[in-house]
Amino acid sequence: MKKLWIPGAIVALIILLAIAAPILGLADPVRQDIANRLAGPMAGSPLGRDEFGRDVLSRLIWGARTSLGVAFASAIIAGVIGTAFGLIGGWFRGLGEILTVRSMDIILCFPPVLLALLVVTLMGPGAGTLILVLSVLYLPGFARVTYAEVLSARSLDYVEAVRALGAPTWRILFRTVLPNVAGPVLVQLSLAVASAVVLESGLSFLGLGVVPPAPSWGLMIRGARATMEQAPMLLLWPCAALTLTILAMNLLCDGLRDAVDPRTPAGRRRLRLVDRVFPGLVPAPAPRSDAVLEVQNLTVEIATPRGPIRPVQDVSLSVRAGETLAIVGESGSGKSVTATAVMGLLPPVAVPVEGHAWLGGKDVLRLSEPEMRALRGGPMAMVFQDPMSSLNPVHTVGAQVVEAIQAHQKISSAEAWAKAEELFKRVGIADPAKRLRVYPHEMSGGMRQRVMIAMGIANNPKLLICDEPTTALDVTVQAQILDLLNDLKRETGMAMIFITHSLGVVSEIADRVAVMYAGQVVEQGRVEEVFGNPLHPYTRALLAAVPEGEEPPLGIPGIVPPPHNFPVGCRFAPRCRFATAACEAAPPPLEAIRAERQVRCIRWHELTPTEAVA
Amino acid sequence: MNAPLIEAVGLSKTFPGKGLFRKGRPVQAVKHIDASVARGEAVGVVGESGSGKSTLGRMMLGLMPATEGSVRFDGKLVNDASRAEWRRLRRRMQIVFQDPYGSLDPRRRVGDQIADGISIHGLLPSRKRERRVAELLNKVGLDPAHAQRFPHEFSGGQRQRIGIARALSTGPDFLVADEPVSALDVSIQAQVIQLLGELRRDLGLAMLFISHDLPVVANLCDRVIVMYLGRVMEEGTARSVFARPVHPYTRALLSATPMLDPARRARRILLQGDPPSPSNPPSGCVFRTRCAHARDACAEVVPELRPFGDAGTRVACIRAEEIA
Repeated sequence: MKKLWIPGAIVALIILLAIAAPILGLADPVRQDIANRLAGPMAGSPLGRDEFGRDVLSRLIWGARTSLGVAFASAIIAGVIGTAFGLIGGWFRGLGEILTVRSMDIILCFPPVLLALLVVTLMGPGAGTLILVLSVLYLPGFARVTYAEVLSARSLDYVEAVRALGAPTWRILFRTVLPNVAGPVLVQLSLAVASAVVLESGLSFLGLGVVPPAPSWGLMIRGARATMEQAPMLLLWPCAALTLTILAMNLLCDGLRDAVDPRTPAGRRRLRLVDRVFPGLVPAPAPRSDAVLEVQNLTVEIATPRGPIRPVQDVSLSVRAGETLAIVGESGSGKSVTATAVMGLLPPVAVPVEGHAWLGGKDVLRLSEPEMRALRGGPMAMVFQDPMSSLNPVHTVGAQVVEAIQAHQKISSAEAWAKAEELFKRVGIADPAKRLRVYPHEMSGGMRQRVMIAMGIANNPKLLICDEPTTALDVTVQAQILDLLNDLKRETGMAMIFITHSLGVVSEIADRVAVMYAGQVVEQGRVEEVFGNPLHPYTRALLAAVPEGEEPPLGIPGIVPPPHNFPVGCRFAPRCRFATAACEAAPPPLEAIRAERQVRCIRWHELTPTEAVA
Repeated sequence: MNAPLIEAVGLSKTFPGKGLFRKGRPVQAVKHIDASVARGEAVGVVGESGSGKSTLGRMMLGLMPATEGSVRFDGKLVNDASRAEWRRLRRRMQIVFQDPYGSLDPRRRVGDQIADGISIHGLLPSRKRERRVAELLNKVGLDPAHAQRFPHEFSGGQRQRIGIARALSTGPDFLVADEPVSALDVSIQAQVIQLLGELRRDLGLAMLFISHDLPVVANLCDRVIVMYLGRVMEEGTARSVFARPVHPYTRALLSATPMLDPARRARRILLQGDPPSPSNPPSGCVFRTRCAHARDACAEVVPELRPFGDAGTRVACIRAEEIA
């Protein structure tokens, strides 16, 4: 709202002054007084007199009336008609489009001044003619802007929804489409008013607009130009008025557009620059374990306008060679942030503030960017959810695989291409030599994901992180990819971290599973143990929510809390059937029950039948 | 089974091909499909992307004109209903969309959007609308005070509930749910499935439930139609289709679905390759290019959908008896 205040006040003041001109007790703007020709500031004329001895202030304010009146009238006329044209053209297409939008293109063929000359010659100069000329000139802008917006809006689900409700066409256009195209139209309006003020002045200056002696800013500039050397200030006033009006108008319209859009975030302030120095300059010794990756107490912090949030807190994981660890959780659980932190791919605002991630004796959270680059795509690689946006559309897939190989291996191009072909064969791409030379868009989603996997395993990684690699695929294709990943893991003995929201996929592919909720690991263990005998109430509720078998699925009431609003105690407590006052009082620790089995619940023991624990 | 509320016969949809210099091949999205839904019945339409399941739903609602075939609603042919008649029909048939983010108008309060259906059809005087909106919000499990909020203030699951409330505002008899839970998290998905099940029971809605998620369909629906490349491969009661699938495609689809319970997991039948393009479907049986049981005969004739067994299943496969 702050953005609206100042330009709003200026524009309001200018309009108010223009409207109130007759009652301000100003000198008559057309009364000449040759005796005081070009006089400086004097009593009754604070801005002095012009070349005919007329009061400059009075002419400035009366001129605003003409200038703004013409500008607003023409912009609004053009806006209303042009928007209507655009709506009709974009919604009905076909003949409607030709009549409304295409006909506008003809107007664009005329140079504006030529068109103005033509009309003035036919109709004679004057404010009315000006309004007509300017409205015609701005019509195409509005029609085209609206047309483009309507075209993109008409295929949206919510427009279809109103159609399905049986709304008549006019209602769809006015209640649903128009408000959603209003933003760009408002901006167009601000541009039109501003440039109409300028064009009006220009045309009046040329003698094609307002007829003297009526005051207008254009005419004032024209008059002042002749006497520029005697009274240069005379030129300043109308120019200053023009500049101020246009600037204020543009700022106001920008502000308006943001204000009418309910989606604009309340404060779009810049994020505070957080330059946190990593705690502990002397690194802790790497743990002695057989794990390929060992993540210890990882906490990621993001600075937001509302204060720092921790989408991942105190997460510990490990994965051994030849093992698949699944990280499962709903959106907002922090599973992807955990993986991107390990890969060193967090956006600058997100910082791993605590913890370690050991990969081959190095803490990857504390490596420099060049060191990370040597690791990424080499010893640790990642496969993303959407292969289309992860592949470069302008290079062949073969070139991209070769690039991935040559980034880590010093081999000739011919060798790299041969290796790429080998990789394609390995990930089950039929006719690999030919497929190397196609572009990503020529492949199906499943094929593209195979290419991504080929790039991932190109340099024999020790660790492959897969972030929802099958979520965008059909089930039959998903089955192919899961089988492929399983085969690759068995053949190469690499460790795999598989991030997914699907419990069924976890059950099919993983050896161990970490269940995440609201940034924390709530339960961890072997898949058959965790799914066969869940200890955490969230894991149980999640399993009961999966539609499988005869039982109807049971939803978990409530929603995952957003990171800036995590509960103080157990984060699942507000949705938990078994929550007590103690659960909400303090955060529960992640309790190790036995080797490889952990749970974060203070009541797990009393909630689990004793024979199940043994 | 009581008489169907809505019945589609021989529906086809062909999209004209697009090309810059020469006309591309037309895309056959849906070919000769019969579908019917009775009051209080839920029919699932399953298939992978490109199977034409959403197109079928849109055609039954009249949101997309069918190239061929007819739709009968409540005993009346609606194919060439006038615009005014359609507007009256709209009150009785509604749709719930997949994307909870795109399906709500971002610029209007949710209460106003829910009230749209009521005001368009003039169902209630304006002073009573607010109460009705509150009732609807209550029914889908939201706080009636939320009517004053904008869509971006809600989570995905809550938006989906709002979409359902909007669809219910006109008191429809027939509801098409187009992948209503695909974009939702598991715990939220179950909430919405529960809600749809309750609404169907309480309001006696006829429901066409379009989904690629077989377990969800098995759970919610009475009957199921399995589609592949615009054609029906198999249809029957959900119980029999999922327990004893006959068509090789249905079997492959079921075996590919990741299952939580290892005991429930069928031996995986891995389909080779990707589905063919709908603009260039294989001759004969469209599934034959990926089918392990395909013979030369499969390429020659289009297999018709015929009754199989005594559970009311119908299947489009010439070798159903041999491979069952």
